[in-house]
Amino acid sequence: MKECIFETENLVYSYSTKQAKPSLDNVSVEIHKGVRTAILGANGAGKSTLFYHFNGIFKPVSGTVKYMGKPLEYTREALTELRNDISVVVQNPDEQIFSATVEEDIAFGPMNMGMERDEIERRIQESLFKVGMEEYRERPTIQLSYGQRKRVALAGALAISPKVLILDEPTAGLDPQMSQEVIELVEQLCEAGTTVIISTHDVDLAYAWAEEIHVLIHGDLVYSGEPEPFFDDHEKVAMTGLVMPHTFSVNSSVQRICGREVAPYPRTNSQILCKMLPEGSRIGKIRLVPVEDSLPDVPAEGLPTGIYGAITRRLFRAAGREPDYHFNAIEYCLMDAVGGKDSVLFCDAPMKDRVLEVIGRMEAFGKKVEVVM
Amino acid sequence: MSEEMQMDTLAYSSRMLKWAPLGKFLFVIAVLIVNIVTNSMMVPFVTLAIGLVLMAYSTNFKIPFFVALALAEAVLILAIGCGMISITGDKADPAIWDTNLLWFDVYMTHDSFNKAWLVMFRGIAGMAVMMSFATSTPIPHLSQALKQVHMPREVSELVVLIYRYGFFLLERLDAMWEAAHCRMGFNGFMNTMKTTASITVGIFTSSSNLADKAQIALDCRNYQGYFPIYNAPPKLGIKWILVTVAAVALIYVFGIYTEGWIDMTKLFFGGSA
Repeated sequence: MKECIFETENLVYSYSTKQAKPSLDNVSVEIHKGVRTAILGANGAGKSTLFYHFNGIFKPVSGTVKYMGKPLEYTREALTELRNDISVVVQNPDEQIFSATVEEDIAFGPMNMGMERDEIERRIQESLFKVGMEEYRERPTIQLSYGQRKRVALAGALAISPKVLILDEPTAGLDPQMSQEVIELVEQLCEAGTTVIISTHDVDLAYAWAEEIHVLIHGDLVYSGEPEPFFDDHEKVAMTGLVMPHTFSVNSSVQRICGREVAPYPRTNSQILCKMLPEGSRIGKIRLVPVEDSLPDVPAEGLPTGIYGAITRRLFRAAGREPDYHFNAIEYCLMDAVGGKDSVLFCDAPMKDRVLEVIGRMEAFGKKVEVVM
Repeated sequence: MSEEMQMDTLAYSSRMLKWAPLGKFLFVIAVLIVNIVTNSMMVPFVTLAIGLVLMAYSTNFKIPFFVALALAEAVLILAIGCGMISITGDKADPAIWDTNLLWFDVYMTHDSFNKAWLVMFRGIAGMAVMMSFATSTPIPHLSQALKQVHMPREVSELVVLIYRYGFFLLERLDAMWEAAHCRMGFNGFMNTMKTTASITVGIFTSSSNLADKAQIALDCRNYQGYFPIYNAPPKLGIKWILVTVAAVALIYVFGIYTEGWIDMTKLFFGGSA
C-alpha cells in the first residue's frame, strides 16, 4: 500500500469572505510518497492554493491538512520544521529570488535553517552543480536571463534538501531545451527519493511524466488517479478546460485508423512508434555507459551519442565533447532504436536503473530494445 | 539593460568590490572634507588624481553613458554656479572687471575669480572621488555597511528590498511604457498625461501584487524576519583607518604648503590684476 505524504480532508479555503464560491471547495486528496504527482487544472482552478496548504502558507477555513499522517500545526516552530522538509518553487522566479547574487540566494534557505557555514557551502556547490550554474555563482541575480533565474530558484529550493519538492508550472516561460533539462533534473530527484509534485496545465508534460494526477476545476477536485482514465473521458477533459495530450490523441487515432488496441497507452513518441512498428522490423541497440567520476573511454564508432544526468553533462563539457543528444537523450536513443539504428547513451551511474526501467517499458509495446553495457 | 542595471553591473565587476564598503566610504568622505577645508588650489588636483586613479583601478573608467551625461550636466551646473561666484565679488576690493549687464551688476575681483575656480575644481574632484565609491559599491554591500554601524536592521533590510524590487518595477514600467507607445498612448499632450497617470496607477497596483507574492515566496523559504547574509563584505579594519588618517594628514599638509601656488587671476589676466 502506498504511503500518504499529504492528505487533505474536506479542505475549504476562501481568499475573502465575499467570495461566492470558495477557492477550494471540500477538496479531499491523497498525495503518495515517492509517486510522481501532477496537479492539473486550467488557470484559476486552485492548483497553487492547494499546494500552499501543503506547506502551511494558507490555513484552511475548514477541513484538515495532514503531513506524514499528522495534522499540520500552525505555530511558528511547527511551520519552520515543516518548511525544512518541503520546498516550493514558484512559477515566476523573480518572486522567489531575493538576494543580490546567486550564491547569496541559494544560501538563503539553508541559513534560515541555521546550518553551519561548511554545510551551507557544500549545499551551494551541490545545488549549483545540479542545475548547471556553477560558473554563475557570484553573478548578480538581476543580470541573469529568465531561464537562468528559474534555475537559480530551483537551486535555492534544492539547497534545503527537501523531502518534498513542489514545482509550480516548472516549464512555463522556458525554451524547450531548458524544459527538458528541468524535467531531467526532476527525474534525478525522484530517483534520489524526493517526492516531487508538479502543478501545471501542460497536459503533455503531466501525461509523459506523472504516475498520478489530481485534476481541479474552479476549486473542486474532479479526478484523482492514473492519467489514462481521465484523458479517456473526453467530456471531463473538455469540462476542466484542458486538452488531450498529444501522444494520447495520436494513440486514439492509431486505434481508429489502424484498428490497434488502445491499451497499453503510450506516453512517448518512441512508444507510439514502437506500437505501430510492423512485425519483423529491426530494433536498434542502445549501448549504455554509466558514468561515475570520469568519462569512460568508449569509442562511439560513429553512432549517435546521448547524455543523461548532471555528472555526465559536466564531464562532457569539461572534455569538450559534443553529444548528439544533449537533452531528452533516452527518448532520442529509443527513437533511434525503433528506427533500427544503434546509439550510445552515457548516463550518471545512479540513474542507470531508471534508464533501464524506461528502456524496458518498450517491451509492453511489443518490441524489446536490447541494452549493451 | 536598464540604466540602473548598468550601474549595478559596473559595481559588481569592480576590482574594488571586495574592499570594505565602510572603509571606502570613510576614505572618500575624509578626502572630500580635507578637499573642502584647505584653501590650496593644488588640493582639488590631488583629490581629482585620487578619484581618477581609483576609478581607473576599479572599472577602467567604464562609466555608463547616462552617468557620464549626468556628470557632464553637473559640471555644467557647477560652471554656471562658479561663474556667478566670480562675478559677485566683494565691492570693498578692487575690481578686475566691473560692468552692468542688463539689470545685473557684474563685479569681478581677484578673490572672487580665484574662489570660483577653487569651487569648480573642488566640485569636479569631489565628483571623481564619489564616483569611484559609487561604481565599486553595490547597494547590498552598502546595506551591510549600514548594519556594521548598527543602523537598525529594518532600515538596512528596507534598503535591500527597495533595491531588489525597484528593478522589477522599473522593468515593468519599461514594458508598460513600450506597450503604451505601441497603442499610440503618447500622441498629444493630454493623451500623454492620461497614459502616464494610468501607467503610474498600474505600477502602484503591480507593486502591491508583487509584495503579496513575494511575502508568500519568503514564507515558503522559511523566512525568519531578517535577511541573513552568507558572504558579508569585509568590515572596517584598522588598515582603513590608518590609510585614511595618513591620506588626510598628507593632503592637509600638502594643502598648507602649496597655498597660493596657483593664482588663476594671474593666469587669465596676467600681471595687471
